[in-house]
Amino acid sequence: MAFLDLFIVNKSGGLIHHRSLSEKAPQIGTNEWLRIGSTFHSLHAIAAEASPVRGKIDDGIELIESEGLVLCCFQTRTGIKFVLTAEPGTGYLQKVLKEIYVAYTDCALKDPFYELEMPIRCELFTQAVNDVMSRFGNR
Amino acid sequence: MSKSANIAAAGHALWANTPKVNTELFALTYGSLITEILRDYDQDISEVNVQLERIGHSIGVRCVDELLAKSEVNGINIPMCRDLRETAEVIAKIGFRMFLGVNCDVGKLTDKSFSLYLSENPLNIFVELPSMSEDEGGSGPDWNQLKYSNIYCGVIRGALEQVNLKVECSFVRDVLRGDEVNEIRVNVKEVLAEGAGEDYHEE
Repeated sequence: MAFLDLFIVNKSGGLIHHRSLSEKAPQIGTNEWLRIGSTFHSLHAIAAEASPVRGKIDDGIELIESEGLVLCCFQTRTGIKFVLTAEPGTGYLQKVLKEIYVAYTDCALKDPFYELEMPIRCELFTQAVNDVMSRFGNR
Repeated sequence: MSKSANIAAAGHALWANTPKVNTELFALTYGSLITEILRDYDQDISEVNVQLERIGHSIGVRCVDELLAKSEVNGINIPMCRDLRETAEVIAKIGFRMFLGVNCDVGKLTDKSFSLYLSENPLNIFVELPSMSEDEGGSGPDWNQLKYSNIYCGVIRGALEQVNLKVECSFVRDVLRGDEVNEIRVNVKEVLAEGAGEDYHEE
């Protein structure tokens, strides 16, 4: 039961943060991650348009489950998507995403040198994510 | 009625969980910020007002995520606002309560604007605007034009911009100028379109 990767996509679809959370995570280059980020952003938007049931404004992909992977996405009302991939059977995905959102607001947003929509390079944010991971038992 | 009670309770709960700082320190720090800006802009009051609003804007774009994130983890569900009244209530009862611990009321609601009334303002607890002395005449700055707490207008504008509402905010009544209550008028200019979805609409 391990979390594999965390990636954060901004309002315009650009990847602002990526991090692998365990050694079992696939080794993918940065450019590939950028492409994954923007692809996911577009798929999220298409899914909302293609949905037979138009609900709220923040419709979109929430969960993708397959045999080898679970992908969970949390979109904030401000348009940022927090996406977590994990091995099947891992619990607390939504909860972890919300904790990471809080870590983002406390560490990345309050950093005076961080510009919105830009890649996140904050040591405090990395540590905070580590804390969240250890709390939710990444074995 | 219960919905507004929920919103008020949410505000109180979030305020309880927020780390606090000394009110005097907060007020005095803001006061020295104002003095610095006045010095930087050579007492050009209208420019100072603009700068305060800009500073508020940078704060607001970050505050909104904090409000949404902290309410999520505290189990408080702030539902998607269906009309302007709900947006105003969230700003007044949750936003102002959570970040400043003050009570704020909504009023004069139309479908494109609303007013926020602040009876207590932690920023101006030690403040008095200097009065124009007779012999100075027109040479000194007109202190009555100074919108001391204009930072709030920027915060509200920045915060609402992040959730796709473009607004204009201004202080219409200020306790420092002799009115009984602080009133901020918020006018909705437009509702911005949601991100990427636009590109994928069916023709």
